[in-house]
Amino acid sequence: MASEKLNVIDNLQNLDVLQMDRRTFMKAVAALGASGFVARYGTSLAKAMEFSKTKVVWLHGAECTGCSISALNAYNPEFADALEKLNISLEYHETILAQQGLFVDGKLVNTSELNGEILLDELANEGGYILVVEGSIPNGPDNTGKACILGGHPFKDIVEKTARKADAIVAIGTCASYGGITTTNCDTKEYCDFQGMSFTETTPGGILKILGIDKPCINIPGCPAHPDWFFLTVAALILGKLDLNNIGAALDQYGRPKPFYPPESTIHDNCPRRGYYDRGILDKEIAQGGCLWKLGCKAPYAHSDCALRKWNNGLSLCMQAGGPCLACVEPTFPNASMPFFEESEKTEILFGANIGHVALFAIGVAVVAAGVHAVRRMKKE
Amino acid sequence: MVKVTVDPLTRIEGHTRITAEVDSNGTIQYAQSGGLLFRGFERMLQGKDPRDSALFVQRICGVCPISHGLTSVNALDHLYGVAESVPQNALAVRNFIQAANMVASHATHIYVLWGPDLSNPRYRDVLTAPEMGLGEVGKNVWSEMVGRFTPLSYKMDGKAIPPGVSYMNALTAKRRCQEALAPFAGKMPHVAILYPGGVTCNPGLGEITKAAATYLKILDFVKDHVLGVDLDVWIENTMKAKSPDAAVNFVVEHLSGLISKADGKFTKENGFKDVEFFATFGSELVGERLLGLPVSLRLDKLGNYNDPSKIQFLSYGAYYKRGQDGYTPESADWERFVTSAITKGDLSREPFDSSKITESIACAFYTDDVQSRHPYNGTTVPVADHNLINFEGDVTSKYSWMKAPRYNGIPAEVGPLARMLAAQDPLIMGLAKTFQTYGMSPASVYMRVLGRMQEVARLAYMLPEWLFDIDPEKPFATSIDFNAAKDAQAIGLWEAPRGALGHWITTDSKGKVSNYQAIVPTTWNLSPRDENGIPGPAEQGLVGNAISGIDNVLGADNTNPISIMHVGRSYDPCVACAIHTVDITGKNAPREYRLL
Repeated sequence: MASEKLNVIDNLQNLDVLQMDRRTFMKAVAALGASGFVARYGTSLAKAMEFSKTKVVWLHGAECTGCSISALNAYNPEFADALEKLNISLEYHETILAQQGLFVDGKLVNTSELNGEILLDELANEGGYILVVEGSIPNGPDNTGKACILGGHPFKDIVEKTARKADAIVAIGTCASYGGITTTNCDTKEYCDFQGMSFTETTPGGILKILGIDKPCINIPGCPAHPDWFFLTVAALILGKLDLNNIGAALDQYGRPKPFYPPESTIHDNCPRRGYYDRGILDKEIAQGGCLWKLGCKAPYAHSDCALRKWNNGLSLCMQAGGPCLACVEPTFPNASMPFFEESEKTEILFGANIGHVALFAIGVAVVAAGVHAVRRMKKE
Repeated sequence: MVKVTVDPLTRIEGHTRITAEVDSNGTIQYAQSGGLLFRGFERMLQGKDPRDSALFVQRICGVCPISHGLTSVNALDHLYGVAESVPQNALAVRNFIQAANMVASHATHIYVLWGPDLSNPRYRDVLTAPEMGLGEVGKNVWSEMVGRFTPLSYKMDGKAIPPGVSYMNALTAKRRCQEALAPFAGKMPHVAILYPGGVTCNPGLGEITKAAATYLKILDFVKDHVLGVDLDVWIENTMKAKSPDAAVNFVVEHLSGLISKADGKFTKENGFKDVEFFATFGSELVGERLLGLPVSLRLDKLGNYNDPSKIQFLSYGAYYKRGQDGYTPESADWERFVTSAITKGDLSREPFDSSKITESIACAFYTDDVQSRHPYNGTTVPVADHNLINFEGDVTSKYSWMKAPRYNGIPAEVGPLARMLAAQDPLIMGLAKTFQTYGMSPASVYMRVLGRMQEVARLAYMLPEWLFDIDPEKPFATSIDFNAAKDAQAIGLWEAPRGALGHWITTDSKGKVSNYQAIVPTTWNLSPRDENGIPGPAEQGLVGNAISGIDNVLGADNTNPISIMHVGRSYDPCVACAIHTVDITGKNAPREYRLL
């Protein structure tokens, strides 16, 4: 366990070309000692600079483009800087690149410089890229995958074509990771049969298993995914710090990189409103500034470093702005998180992922609440 | 006739396709836009707690989540009976985050989605070919276009072209717009704070200061890249101009002054920031006829409407009235900063009335005993015979998953141009009337993009006003009564960056959602034909266009249909809002769908 933890920190430590944030830096320094850190820092930086080109193919399925927009919110470095520093060549991305599908009388025309369909074929033939998938993948209706068609091809087929030749696969966002919002319980759910890449909700397998592709997939869930989680993971891949042959060591049981989605702690642990919780100031109305537990906050069930890393250049966080955590990084999002504004103990669904934590937290609430009540009683008397 | 298809039409949100039939002269004679995909958000909300919807529906679109969230929270305010009492503080926060996101979305559209087409090799050919005789002027214009607007990973003739300067800086500005709103909203995309009766945040001076500091950085981008005159001066002479003529004269004289000093070099240093550059070279009327330049991109001749009686411009209105608590769900004429209104094809104006909205299923893959319904009564039953589901179908058949929304039976364009016309922005209305006077269509690719730019300027001007409306000492929410939401119905009307957005919600006796309906901007703009055979706005806008743009000056090239790219993208389509659950086989078809 200890060595595994060190590996994770080791991975983080080598991401210094991305100007790691202070906390990560301190963590790495603490683990390695200052001199060890400096020695590695130098080597790794030099290595990164001479890194050969890494191709990225980015697909969009049943999605809202929010994860692309979030990636474009990357700061320190910014999106384009990150690509340049890591020598990433973004070969295909429907929202960003120049290409589109072009047909004259039903036949593909022009070249891959303007025609995205030709470009994607060329890329899939060549192989050797990191495949990034945004959005879930419909397997329905009737296993045809025709619920999402692009350029005349079911999206599922496009995933198959590109996944087979990929060096590594990254699912960005909760939809691509687990199905996310597209797997909300409703009467069209089975019909469309939305799948994540390597999981569907909490069940391992996903579209890769259906397609018979035995490759690991790194999940970067979140609705949307935080740009740091994505770029630091891709950086780790490029720097060779995520061993694809033994990737399990760096990932949790739902395929998430442990440094960003720590199995041993939840968002609640570092919530800026944690002090109010500890003092039993549990808001029942919005915009009061206290703990949001009674307003449905799911942070005690959610594993990510949101509360430390924060969002949009480290400026804020859902709970900081008074919004309850929706546990959007969990494979059970959104079904286990709804109703969003109901206290979790009142909902009948438990998060499959974290039953242990649920129990622990419930006990914690009871103890704290009892303590607070005791104090109040004492004061009255 | 040659059939030219763009599928998928990329650099939009989501995926769609456009098909055009092109004659031997390279003129589009006929066009269809097909919505291929849909997801089923409204089904997902059925049986759920209505309060969830304002957070849930943001996941419809990661580019304009705040618009979906606010439209939904407007419906929730109405549903819980608190619309008239939402504290003005909450309305100020909502105004500010909406405006910041609208600027972010417009920057994304202008520079990342629409702009890259200006680096299309066709323009290089036209501007630099010896037979065009444009000499240094042509070369300079091309070098500005490719130097400003080239996207990431771009190649021409096998050679990598570095991304454009404006493009790169716009990425930063877009990020900063989101950082300006994040201190209030928690995070972006998908904000955390929307709740009936107000907002969940209670920001202090710290949050306001952070937002203000970020805003100043955004203004630097406007100053360095977007606008060659001071923002206040621009607003004074356009948005606040005494008359439409005065606004047009101001801009034409400004451009004319720049040209006289430019010595054929249309650089940013010479004052041709992106607005000036586009305003000059985007239009034949402005650039060639009024300013006397030898060349333009003639984008004023793409995306025109040939019959003013078959088109109108619709705005529901947005940005709550300042200085008071509460608002009316259906905003009155001139009440809001962006007012509700209908502008007819001839540019006459009338107040908006939501009861006049219908949706037709004549060319959409649904069945019903009537062809058109109001959204409160809308049904969505897919056709039973899967052979009818054919995207290659013609006007006599069904060919899209999108229904055809109509206002008073006529198609409507929605978006920044429609909003600028509704608000009677002197510059945009003045230009529209100028085009009309010269016998040209007031609507075009040029006007849509310029309308979007002008809206950015107006919002950039207003952002600090809304920011300082926020008073940390006053409340940010009012309480709601859950009983009010039982057996009720409510309407939310608002504006997304790409146009009018409406949500209609109905609840059951337990106060759970029984029906949730939405009509999104792209359904208006990219709608198919209706039961009277009238094509949707984009379908009308493509007919008559030269397939290769600039009047096919170097001949028609069907393999590079630049006019379809320009026109399709000029509406800033958001088909991510359209849902990804197409019933292809007709088997096991869900009984009801609603296209978002």
